[in-house]
Amino acid sequence: MPPIIDEDKCTLCGNCVDICTEDVFFGSKKKQLPRVTYPHECVYCNACVEECPAEGAVRLRLPLPMMLMYKPAPTA
Amino acid sequence: MEIEHIKADVLCVGGGIGGLMAAIRASELGAKAVVAEKGNALHSGKGGGGCDHYLSYIPEIHGPDMDAFIEEMLQTQQRHNFEGLGMNRIRVHIAKTFDIVKMWESWGIPMKYRGEYHYAGHAFPGGFRCLMKYEGRNQKPILTKKALEKGVEIVNRVMVFDLVSDGNKVYGAIGLNTRDEKIVVFEAKSVILGTGGISRLYPSPTPGWFNNIATRLSLTGDGRAMAYRAGAELQNMEMRIQHAGPKYYARFGQATWIGVFRDPQDRPIGPFVTKPERLYGDITPEVNKNIFLEYAQAGKGPVYMDGRGMSQEDLDYMMYWLPHEGNTPLIEHMKADGIDYLKHPVEFMTYDQGSGGRIVTNEEGETSINGLYAVGDELANGVSNASVFGWISGENATLYAKGANIPDGKEIQDLIDEKKGLLEKIRGQKNGPDWKEVNVALQQIMSDYSGALRTEALLDTGLFHLKRLKQKALESIIAGNQHELGRSIEVLNMIDIGELVFICSKERKETRGLHIRRDYPLTNPRLNNKVHIIKEVDHRPVTEWRPTQK
Repeated sequence: MPPIIDEDKCTLCGNCVDICTEDVFFGSKKKQLPRVTYPHECVYCNACVEECPAEGAVRLRLPLPMMLMYKPAPTA
Repeated sequence: MEIEHIKADVLCVGGGIGGLMAAIRASELGAKAVVAEKGNALHSGKGGGGCDHYLSYIPEIHGPDMDAFIEEMLQTQQRHNFEGLGMNRIRVHIAKTFDIVKMWESWGIPMKYRGEYHYAGHAFPGGFRCLMKYEGRNQKPILTKKALEKGVEIVNRVMVFDLVSDGNKVYGAIGLNTRDEKIVVFEAKSVILGTGGISRLYPSPTPGWFNNIATRLSLTGDGRAMAYRAGAELQNMEMRIQHAGPKYYARFGQATWIGVFRDPQDRPIGPFVTKPERLYGDITPEVNKNIFLEYAQAGKGPVYMDGRGMSQEDLDYMMYWLPHEGNTPLIEHMKADGIDYLKHPVEFMTYDQGSGGRIVTNEEGETSINGLYAVGDELANGVSNASVFGWISGENATLYAKGANIPDGKEIQDLIDEKKGLLEKIRGQKNGPDWKEVNVALQQIMSDYSGALRTEALLDTGLFHLKRLKQKALESIIAGNQHELGRSIEVLNMIDIGELVFICSKERKETRGLHIRRDYPLTNPRLNNKVHIIKEVDHRPVTEWRPTQK
């Protein structure tokens, strides 16, 4: 579930780069758009979304192998 | 690589809940406490995504008989957690929990629900409820802030990977900066290991993926590996851990879900609940974590967590707690895919979390090496355990540090030279496998030769292959930068742990829990109250059986 940065909303504050435990944004430069260097190391903990000061600037995409397997409701 | 030196009275390796609590206590008692964290302490560790339940005993709620509470607790999944630790240790832990609850509350972690202490989940209907619901979503930022307020120095992005020790006494540790080309040498009078469990020694539910895990990619048993290399005793390294949760979506929070586990014909698979019960959940998988796998293998699956029939109020209650348990992305996914839990049961599965085991410690948090302590998942799972023994170890490490000194020895310089050589060698290697390739090879050997089924022939063969893999990895693993260097050291640490799993599995000539020896199917009652110790003596692993601590 790599994070996706919205270029229009990101304020380039670097919070997500600082706090990511797995350093998914390794190599990102200060005051520049964060770079998702290691998308497959994201453990979808949501910290980057929660610590982002600009709502909607970071979101997580759920990878297809992790979609929930639910039981469909019976059709009428 | 440049070398930086940092001095400390108490060095906490790992800035999770155990490490931060230890550092806070040590600093409060006047020690110079330093936390070395390979990520960032704000959200690192297994508690980094939050937690919504805290094992705790309050006499006014549970009654004056603490042992009755403990007896009930040991009927739930906590029995695996505390196995081999001894009753004295369990009593020390449980007796301290209410103090920590009150302390955390005063620091700003909300421990009450609607103004009251509230217990729910992980419980048998009619029995004690041992887990307090609390709002742990921001526990790590709050504990980090508290540590800084108390004067703790937090060094983020430094992965400690070896201890400086003479085999009897520890006096520091060595780490690598995971961003800048630096080695960090800690000269410390005492060291507290709190590096967490081991997340990727065995495969995740998604083949070849490392990040589909309930914990963190960066939890790789570094503490256990370095403690062993320094001569400390480890115990029960062959024992395996399983967890249950939504199928293909490895997360904690099984007991936060409210509902009934049902088969495809809507029959409950367990005897405990027949309709959704918010105070209990369905405890069936805590009696047998393997039940989802057994249903699948018997052709009776899938098994669903079924919330149909629950009230909107109960659903709101569950959705209130899931984010505190680190499940916000799950809720977002359900919304996006139109999964209405009132209508759609969700499939669950058993995940193999792999290696259990722990560093041997006593009730003071001391390991078998002077000045070395261990907390958190190095001992047992759970926020409650991490916070209590973090506190206790911080206190005892401070006392120890007052009478300790750091020798000006050649040993430190030799170790620095040796480790610097290893790191630079890896950075200099070309055209070899990266850490992921080594990790996949490690996982398939662990899974196929020391996994769900074990025999002497499989264990001997697997250990032979693992040693070959280790040699190849040391000679050829590549790392293009400091981040990848850290990942490489993590996988080398896990290979060391893997070897211990093989050796201990071979020595445990019985079947017990998830350690299934096809060639020794009996559970040997003579080993009921024994722990299996392994330590390094003259560069060789030595095992022994020892009575469980009282």
